[in-house]
Amino acid sequence: MTQNGTTRTATIRVQRFNPDVDAKPTLREYQVQVSPDTTVLDALETIKATQDGSLTYRRSCRHAICGSCAMNVNGKNTLVCNKPLREVLDRKGRATIRPLPYLPIIKDLVVDRSQFWEQYLRVKPWLIPPADVPEAEFRMTPAEVAALRDAEKCIMCGACYSSCQVVALRQAYVGPHALLKMYLRVLDPRDSAPEERLVEIGGDDGVYRCHTIFNCIDACPKELNPTAAIETLRKLAQKRAAFARERAERQQTLAMPAPVAPGAEMPADIEG
Amino acid sequence: MYTSTGFISFLFRRISGVALVLYLFTHMWVIGSVNAGPEAFDARLALVQTPFFKVLEIALLAAVVYHAVDGIRLLVVHHFDVTEYRKSLFYAMFAVFVLLTIAGGLPILLFALEG
Repeated sequence: MTQNGTTRTATIRVQRFNPDVDAKPTLREYQVQVSPDTTVLDALETIKATQDGSLTYRRSCRHAICGSCAMNVNGKNTLVCNKPLREVLDRKGRATIRPLPYLPIIKDLVVDRSQFWEQYLRVKPWLIPPADVPEAEFRMTPAEVAALRDAEKCIMCGACYSSCQVVALRQAYVGPHALLKMYLRVLDPRDSAPEERLVEIGGDDGVYRCHTIFNCIDACPKELNPTAAIETLRKLAQKRAAFARERAERQQTLAMPAPVAPGAEMPADIEG
Repeated sequence: MYTSTGFISFLFRRISGVALVLYLFTHMWVIGSVNAGPEAFDARLALVQTPFFKVLEIALLAAVVYHAVDGIRLLVVHHFDVTEYRKSLFYAMFAVFVLLTIAGGLPILLFALEG
């Protein structure tokens, strides 16, 4: 890496593969200028704009919220749009970018995510409300919201799914992304189908297939914890009938004002 | 290949598990010869009293210790909310595995060297 003031030259090795021409993927090197605020995606954009227009990758929002640009940088899955390039350069100023592992490559850094979405739909990721939906809103307690462990922050980027060796060994496995979403729905007191959900993921390719490798936690760019969600679902799957009874009882009180936790009172000016 | 401490522990757990199943068949082959009388048993036991098998015995000990200690680590993960400490748990488990293997393997090695 050569240095000139705050700008340096870095070597970016990008995995290239065109299924119409190439027999197997190869690494190709590109030199790019790096300033302190250059992201990995900036480097790819520079390569595409100035050196090789055929380089293919997905990106959209550039704000780490759309989940399009998940890739494998130096062996670890991450979102490239908010990953500073300097963080991933080694001492010689090199970084290697590959597509998400264990998924079929369409071209260069673009992978086929069909299997990822199929497994996601398998768990019915939408909320199934009770038959008698209240006219006003459902009232959840702060503790019930906190128990969801920020699972709703998942941006479906696929970083966890394609880091999971169980997925690599068995494509029928539902995957950490779908199980995290399942956790969100099962723990949500507004959902009325926890038993059916726990039956679905209590089978052969559900929660018990996870080997607790933890790659999903390490790979998640939103710092979510699919493994902890899977552990909770395992415990609930063993007592799903009792859990479903508790849920039915809880839903009787969902339309009522939720008990307010100490210190969590709403300010008088915004109370309804 | 996506490598991590979790993957290494998973890989070793799998390998040690398969090795222990294979050992079980060898063990039954040796012990089962007792049905044919004491001479047959002694003859078969003598086949596995070579330096090569002594080294394999240490490998067997390593497989048993690894599989057991890693199993305990997984039980801790399943029953307590400790995913935050996943790497520390792996390193602690590995240290216990190395210590127990040395503590158990050294006497086997010394015994083998004494002949």
